[in-house]
Formats: sequence, C-alpha cells, structure tokens
Amino acid sequence: MMEWYGALGLLLGSIMVLMATGMPVALAFLAANILGAWVFMGGGAGLTQLLNNGFGALTSFALVPIPLFLLMGELFFFTGLGTRMFTAIDRLLGRVPGRLSYVTVIGGTGFSTLSGSSMGSTALLGSLMVPEMNARGYKKHMSIGPILGTGGLAIIIPPSALAVLLATLARIDVGALLIAGVVPGLILAGLYLLTIWVQVRIDPEAAPAYEVPAMSLGEKLGLVLRDVVPMLSIMVLTVAGMIGGIFTPSEAAAFGALGVLILAGIYGGISVESLRNSIVGALKVTLMAYLIVFGSATFSQLMAFSGASSGLVDWATGFALSPVTMLLVMFGVLLVLGMFMEQISIMLLTVPIFFPLATDLGFDPVWFGLVMLLALEISFTTPPFGLLLFVMKGVAPPDTTMRDIYTAAFPFIGCSLLLVVLLILVPELALWLPGR
Amino acid sequence: QDTLTAVHAFPESLIYTQSFLEFVDKVNERGEGVIEINVRGGPEAIGMFQQPDAVRNGVVDMVYTPGSFYAGSLPEKDALVASNLTAIETRENGGIELIDQIHQEKMGVKYLGWFDSGVCYNLWTRNEPELDEGGNLDVSGLKLRGNAVYNAFFTEYLGAQVIDLPTTDVYSALERGVVDATGWTQIGLIDLKWNEFLNYRIEPCFFSTDLGVIVNLDTWEGLSEEAQTILQEVAIEHEQSSVEALRTKRDEDFAALEEQGMEVVTLEGEAAADYLAAAREKTWERMQGLMEEQPGGTENYDRLIELFYDPAADPQ
Amino acid sequence: MHTLRRAYDGFVTLMAIVAGAMLVWLMVSIVISVTMRNAGVQPWAWLFTSSEYALLYMTMLGAPWLVREKGHVHIELVTAALPPATQAVVSRAVAAACVLVSVILAWKGAELVATNIARSDYDVRAYFTPKWILTIAFPISFTLMAVEFARFVFGPELMHSGEAGLHE
Ligand code: NA
Ligand code: NA
Repeated sequence: MMEWYGALGLLLGSIMVLMATGMPVALAFLAANILGAWVFMGGGAGLTQLLNNGFGALTSFALVPIPLFLLMGELFFFTGLGTRMFTAIDRLLGRVPGRLSYVTVIGGTGFSTLSGSSMGSTALLGSLMVPEMNARGYKKHMSIGPILGTGGLAIIIPPSALAVLLATLARIDVGALLIAGVVPGLILAGLYLLTIWVQVRIDPEAAPAYEVPAMSLGEKLGLVLRDVVPMLSIMVLTVAGMIGGIFTPSEAAAFGALGVLILAGIYGGISVESLRNSIVGALKVTLMAYLIVFGSATFSQLMAFSGASSGLVDWATGFALSPVTMLLVMFGVLLVLGMFMEQISIMLLTVPIFFPLATDLGFDPVWFGLVMLLALEISFTTPPFGLLLFVMKGVAPPDTTMRDIYTAAFPFIGCSLLLVVLLILVPELALWLPGR
Repeated sequence: QDTLTAVHAFPESLIYTQSFLEFVDKVNERGEGVIEINVRGGPEAIGMFQQPDAVRNGVVDMVYTPGSFYAGSLPEKDALVASNLTAIETRENGGIELIDQIHQEKMGVKYLGWFDSGVCYNLWTRNEPELDEGGNLDVSGLKLRGNAVYNAFFTEYLGAQVIDLPTTDVYSALERGVVDATGWTQIGLIDLKWNEFLNYRIEPCFFSTDLGVIVNLDTWEGLSEEAQTILQEVAIEHEQSSVEALRTKRDEDFAALEEQGMEVVTLEGEAAADYLAAAREKTWERMQGLMEEQPGGTENYDRLIELFYDPAADPQ
Repeated sequence: MHTLRRAYDGFVTLMAIVAGAMLVWLMVSIVISVTMRNAGVQPWAWLFTSSEYALLYMTMLGAPWLVREKGHVHIELVTAALPPATQAVVSRAVAAACVLVSVILAWKGAELVATNIARSDYDVRAYFTPKWILTIAFPISFTLMAVEFARFVFGPELMHSGEAGLHE
C-alpha cells in the first residue's frame, strides 16, 4: 500500500505533466485515471471501473442545466437580443461622464446574468464596446477593465454553468449555490461602478464626455419596457422560480432557454443560422466540459480510494492553523492554479481535497463553493494566463498590447478580492437568500 | 494474515454505515493475525451505484450495500424488500443460504450477511394525509418522491404522481416544496434532517431494508479456512445483534420525533391489509417479471417467497 | 480512398448532428414534463430517463467531432517556448499519446459491452434498460476519437497552434 503522498504525487503529478505538454485536458485526466486505476484499483478491473464511473457521472440529471444555460446564453448572443439590450442601456444613460464604461458594467451584468459563459460575454462586449469607446477617445483601461470584470461576473450571477458543475462535483445543492451568487454578484457589480466613478474622478480625460441626442422621459420609459425589461425578466423569473420552489435548476434552465427563444421570435431574431450557431456553440462547450467530467468521477474516487485526500486533509489540519488562514491558503492555491489552468480542471483537481477540508473546518459548503467560484472568477483575469485576457486580446483592436490588458484588469481584480473579504466577514451575504 | 478491502454505499454518518463499521471492528478484533478488513471509504471512494460492479470485478473485496443497487443483476433481492421477517428467522430457515447461492451463481459474489434487517419503511408526509370513505390512503394531492425501489408500489397501487429523486436531493426538494411526501425507513429521518419538513408518519410500515455484505467470490475462496469461519461467524452474530440494536434505535427515533410533534396516522382493518398486500405483491410481480428474462428463470421464485414471507408474522 | 474519407467525415459530422439534437431534446423533454405536471398529469417517466441517457449519448457521439474541431481545451505553455521543428515533434507525440488513451478505452469499452451482454446487465431507473445499449457508445466513440487524434499524428495539420495560452 502506497503512502498517501506517494499516491497524491502520482495522481497530481501525472496530470500536471501531461497538461504541461499540451495534451487536451480531458485526455490528460483520462490518462492519469488509467494509470491510477491500474495501480490502485487492481489492473484491468480498475479500467472497467473507470468506464462504469464515467457512465454514472454522465447519466446524472444534475448535469442537465449546463448545456441549457449555455444554450440560453448563445441564443441571447446570436439572435441579437444582447445587442438590443445593450444599445438601450447606452441610450438611457445619456450624458454621464464615463458613460460607456458604466454601460459596459450595467449592460454586462445584465448580459452575464443571461449568459452562462464568461467567455461568450467577454467576446461580445469586447467586440462591441472597445472599438466604440476607442473612437470616443476613451483610454484603453476604461474600456477593457470593465469588460474583463463583468465577463467574470457571469460565473457568479445565475444562470451559471460553472456553478452547476461545481455543485455537482462537490455534491452540494445546485439550486442553493446558484441562488447564493445573486447578492454577492450584485455587490460586485456595484463595486465595479464605484471603481469607474473613482477612475473618472481621478482622470476625467480617460473618458471624455460628448454630446448625445436627448430623450424625453416617455421615450426612455418606452425603451426600458421594450428592450430591457423583457430580457431581464427571463433571468428574474428563472431565479425567482428556483427560490420559490416552482422550478428545479434543470427546469429553470430549460424554461430560460425557451424564454429566450420565444423572445427572439417576437423580436425577429430567429433564423436557421442563428439557431444553428447557438446549438453548435452550446454543444462545443458542453462536450468539452462533459468529457472532462467523464474522467472526473474516477479522479476524485482515486484520490479517496488511494487514501490521498484523507492523508492530505489530515496532514493539512495537523498544523492547527485557524480556519481563515486555511481558507486563504486554499484561495491562494486556486489563484496560482488559475494562472495556467482553465476553470473546470482546477475544480476537478481541488474539489476532492478542498471540500472535505472545508467540512472539517466547519465552513458551510455553499458559502465555500461561492468563495471558490470567486477565486475562479479572479483567476479568469489573472495575468499572465487568465483565459479572459486572451479572449480580450482576440477581440480588441490590433494595437492593444497584453500589457494594456493586464493593467486594465488590476482594479477589477481588487474589487473581487474585496468581495471575498466581505464574504468572510459577513457570510450571510451569500447564505441569506438560499436560506441556509 | 488475509486482508480485505471494503467500501460502503452510504456516507459514514448514516446509522447503517455505523452498523457496518461496528461489524468491521468485531472482525478485526476477533480475527487479529488471521483476517483484517481495511475500509477505504463510502460513495466518495467508489460511486454508490458502481460498488456492486466493483466487487464483482475485484476492484474492491467487500461491499456493504442495499441489494436494490444491483437489482438489474439480481432481481431476487426483492424477496428481501418484500419480506416481513428478519435475518434471524431467515438465517434459521435457510433463506439467506438460498440468497447466498443465487449471489454466487448470478454475480460471482459471496453473500455474507443481511444486516440491519427488521427495519421497515413508512410513508412520511408534510400535510395531514387524507383517507377515503373506505379508510384507504388518498394520494391524489401528494407530491410524492419516489425511486426505483418504491415505484412499483407507489405508482401502480397507490396511483401516485411520483417525482424520482436520489436521497441526496430530497432535503432541498422538501425545503422548496418540490415534493411533500416520501417513503423512508423507520430510522434515519432525523440524521437526514427531513423531520424539519415532515409532520406525519403513516402506519403500517411496509417493505424491509435489504442491506447486505457481499464479497468477491475469488477473494472469498482464496481466504484461509480460519478466516472464512471468523468472517461468517461474526456476520451471523451481527445479523442478530443489529436487529436488536436498530429496534432500540427506532424506538428512540420515534419518541424523539413524537416529542417534536410528529403525528401518526394509522390505516385500519381492510385498508391496512390491502396496503400491505399491494406493497408486497407489486414487488413480487416485478421480481417475477425480471427473473423470467434471466437465465435460470423463475425456478427459485416460490421458494424465495416461502422463506422470506410468513403470513403469520403480519399484523393481525 | 477519397470517397471513403468523405463518407467517414460525413459519419462523424452526422454523429455531431445527433448530439446537437440530443441537446435540444433536453430542453424539450423538460418543458413537456413540467407542463404535464402542472396540468395535473403524471409526466411519462421515459421523459426523465431519456434526458439522462441523452447526456451520455450526446457526449460520446459529439466527442470525435470535437477532436476534429480542436475543441478539447488544452494549454500551450511549455510547448510554445520550443523551436518550431521541436514543437511539431512534441505536438505529434502528444497526439499519439491521445491515440493510445483512446485505444485503451475503446478496447476496455468493447470488453465492457461484451460483459454487459454476457451478464445481461440492466441499468435500473424508471425502466430496466439493457446496459449494453448504453455502454456501446464507449467503444464507438473512443475508436473514432483515436482515428481523429491519429490524423494529427500523421496528417498535414498539427493539434497545437504554437501560441502560448489556453486553447479551446
Ligand atoms: Na451567469
Ligand atoms: Na486562468
């Protein structure tokens, strides 16, 4: 019988090495699983177990919201509903200094609530807003920063495919984790607005004001009712349905997607092409995630079965550090991993270790899940390899350097860190709404 | 010294797992130097529903699981589900021996013992259950949580609108009102905290738990004779002592629940008899149907029923 | 040869289309079942079971197509720092390792299907479904994934782009 650190080293080590060589993440997990199952689960029988586990993991109804949330977001994007809502908010704000930065945060928050995917919303906002803001004389950080920030909001404010996946992996209540993200997500959006206000106060030149056609109150009201309320009401109804017990998360996701589809029909955004693009987009991300999930069941079982997780947990708790210190250590590990790994792999690697540890430390699992999502959100935009930084590089004007993007990201990373501190001090921010 | 690896289907906190761990302790104590059971964990180590395959394939040597988790391979487990006897009587009358033999033939595993038997299931509801003129339970207004074990009875006999949920999802489903009634064993409601939402227990109780220890047959046959003897003896002792222990626990749980305001609604006379007969017969029907499709057919059907059901043991 | 390749490509695409249809079915089946429930009718149990099975088929049928589309996320960090010629060698070697993983799982998957048939195993949910009908997805999917990865070993195209970062 191998010692726990031997088992841990073998399992984590082989995954890390394989990922570093550029092997697709799903295959790296499967390869490490094959190795681990062979060693710890009795040779060939262990490999059969791997397939049986994959079968069990994939035929679980808890995973259903993921493709449906993604579909919802893609439909919102491809049928033009997103752009419509955005333009409306832009016109409503009128002549506020730094207006376009606010539009990005407000519109982006609205958009990220509807889109399950941070990458989708970053790509949309980046291609929509950055050129426009450039043309209006905005400095780069005033356009790129808010977009990076709100892109990450998508994984906290429901619907969120990543939150569903985390809840499934950690075996916590999917609905509770989704609902727990509402209040902190809105607080974070508020902090972003505050950041922009401060940035404009310090350097008014960063966001020059310009004339826009005035609108009467009636016009504004009409715009709100036509182009903002219907879109947001889909999100509000699905979340309220979950809180009120009318919908399970899966049902909320299905009706959310249906709602967007109906709305797109009313506004004339449905075409064969937009439908096909939406399904293909949702399918790609779903397949990518599910194939990783396929290997995840076995990976976390190998961690438990070989004694690696319990060994590590015993070792870590043996130092008798305070729960907050332990939390910060875990948070730090997530940030470091986030610098070179994508979110799903980080969750798969850390959930089997962190959740037993969090339980041991007496944390509420839903609260801890939300803190973990925040860490992932931050790591999304952490230099040098945060995923959203590259997405942004892809859609921003060609003269944008990585350095521009990095500097723009920092104040918004600061906001997220502040929110983590708030959550540690006042856990009720997350736990009040799900009633825990 | 022989060493066996083991996993259990339910999380460590559940009473049934505690009972299994007690058994393991007894074996390790009595078998010192001869046999040792090394418990690797619960559903986090091997998935709940993958455990039966894991023990068949030799990934792990021993598993403590409800037979219902491998119903697809061994429909005969329904004889235990529909039983009104305990392991004590069925060990005596040869019932468990027959079940062991079927396990060896159909799954290549040794059935070591039926633990925690003598515990039956109640229907638990949030609102006061309604009875029709005949005193029968009226389920039309209930949002009843079901699963593969219950449904033959719930949907076919009671005609209920069943929502299938795994155990782990029931708490939040009750909390949000997705379901307002569920079946569960007499024990364990408090551990699961479902008593926060459920206010009525419907008697009589039906079914029986079907938790047992299965051991990979090759592993079993490779054990020294002494190790086999110790395992089998301790298992038979635990079959008996767990019946007693769980009955005590049940009485404690019932008392604690009643103190918190849990009310008991009892079906009377013919209504009760019909209710119990339906639970039993729908389950037997399912067992017979599935046995027909398997090699060996229904050869053991009558004998299983004879050994696991004693009309005289029904409440009169 | 050319026709054969086109037929094969068409087959992989067809599997992906079926996977897309499964995704849509998830939405449709849930909408139907909730509507039935609220109309006071017991939703057909197969609606629920079919969406669980759809998850499995969707993943397995779509996976080879995703390999072709280079949609499986990977990290280029160490490899991006290598000179182009070495990079190409490493990229092909990694693809070969993926072929090996896929072949092992295809082979064990075929074994599993044989075992499921021999033991007449059932998947027990609302219905008793013969297990092999579901597990058959493994050998098919992993075999085709092996073929798709093999194209990055021997074909003109590389799996990696040579640019540092995350790719999906
Ligand atoms: Na979202
Ligand atoms: Na990252």
